[in-house]
Amino acid sequence: MTDQKQRSTEAAAIEQAKQGHEAAFEVLYHLHKRRVYSLCLRMVSNPAQAEDLAQEAFLQLFRKIGTFRGESAFSTWLHRMTVNVVLMQLRKKGLPVVSLEETLEAEDEAPRKEFGTKDLKLTGSIDRLQLQRAIDKLPPGYRTVFVLHDVEGFEHNEIAEMVGCSIGNSKSQLHKARLKLRDHLKFMRAEKAKTG
Amino acid sequence: MKCADVERVLPELLDGAPDLAFQTDFETHIKSCPACADLISDLNLISSEARQLAAIEEEPPARVWVRIAAELRAEGLIHDQESAPARPALVPTSPRRWGAWWLAPVAAALLAAGAYVVSHKTAPTVAQHTPAPPATTSNSIPETAAVPSPSVPTVAPPVPAVVAEQPAPNKAPQLLAQKAAKHATAPEVEAGPNEEDQQFLSVVSTLSPSMRVTYESQLRAVNADIREIQAYVNRNPGDLDARQHLMDAYREKALLYQIALDRIQ
Repeated sequence: MTDQKQRSTEAAAIEQAKQGHEAAFEVLYHLHKRRVYSLCLRMVSNPAQAEDLAQEAFLQLFRKIGTFRGESAFSTWLHRMTVNVVLMQLRKKGLPVVSLEETLEAEDEAPRKEFGTKDLKLTGSIDRLQLQRAIDKLPPGYRTVFVLHDVEGFEHNEIAEMVGCSIGNSKSQLHKARLKLRDHLKFMRAEKAKTG
Repeated sequence: MKCADVERVLPELLDGAPDLAFQTDFETHIKSCPACADLISDLNLISSEARQLAAIEEEPPARVWVRIAAELRAEGLIHDQESAPARPALVPTSPRRWGAWWLAPVAAALLAAGAYVVSHKTAPTVAQHTPAPPATTSNSIPETAAVPSPSVPTVAPPVPAVVAEQPAPNKAPQLLAQKAAKHATAPEVEAGPNEEDQQFLSVVSTLSPSMRVTYESQLRAVNADIREIQAYVNRNPGDLDARQHLMDAYREKALLYQIALDRIQ
């Protein structure tokens, strides 16, 4: 379906959904289900939880669809709602939405890796499956900021507002997440080289 | 600028907020420090590859929509129940993973669980029923949902006789399961809410009168679906996909019970 046709279909479905037509809800669901579910899955790394979160995101959307006035793109609205649903769930579970390390001063951090050592550079492209696995291994706080910024494309000011931290913390968390991913990927690459 | 300085300013520099004051020093250092150059190259690579992940989207299981639709109906957000379109595809073109038609009684077990909770919470009186014949085959579904039926060989253990006058919460699920199993193989299903549905609606209206109309409407719709699919299955007994749809319809009904019970509790 072309973008224009999809937008037209979506607009019609939104108006019909406001009238309570089941088919319209179903159209909207099928238009956006993959993106919503994939976002949830990337943020929580658990398919069962991702199902529940995707379900809740759509339910919240459909409950509030009468308030959608079209000032922003419907997908943007849904995208933001999905992120909020996931973050709320993380908070309910007591998981840190941002890493606890955010409060540490630079001097209190663990000894940094020595620069100048002969590390294997991540030459060439990264295996996306390995990257996804490495992301899954990140602590929840790092993973949240990394997924929101580098995968989903949110800006730091948006992330800071959603997760309840400062812009500086968001940048710091993202940087640390990337450093951890770099270490994970190098380790995976070394392991793979060993096993041939 | 030293390597430690690079590490400190990287969070700002990599995300497009350079301070021109140290941009020049930074670039000079990078040109002369392979380790820092490699680090920046790696971090940029990770970031750019991560952005490509957004294009990789996975399909959620079909049950997600089933649950959403059931909840929307239960909340009354879907209004046009009477003119609701038929199921998008009674017989889908893609084959189902599960072809076991005997799973329909499993769906009946879901209904039985809901009826059990209702009867347990409110200690209803249970009308007289004749004892059910014992089942003759395997324990493929839980005990609380005994589903004996001559035409359904792979079903639950024997169903004990139902107590007539005293409240017997543990008998309601068996009664409901028997009804559901009979409906799963019987040539016809009642058009509107059946006896168990009426009992359920009575409990709902006692605890929350305003909900009764909504749930009665929902039950009519899902019973109509079950009737329609059952009729198709009766005409096409070998159609495994249709039987899967029948199971889905029973599951939807069970979900409706559960949603209502969750609200009541």
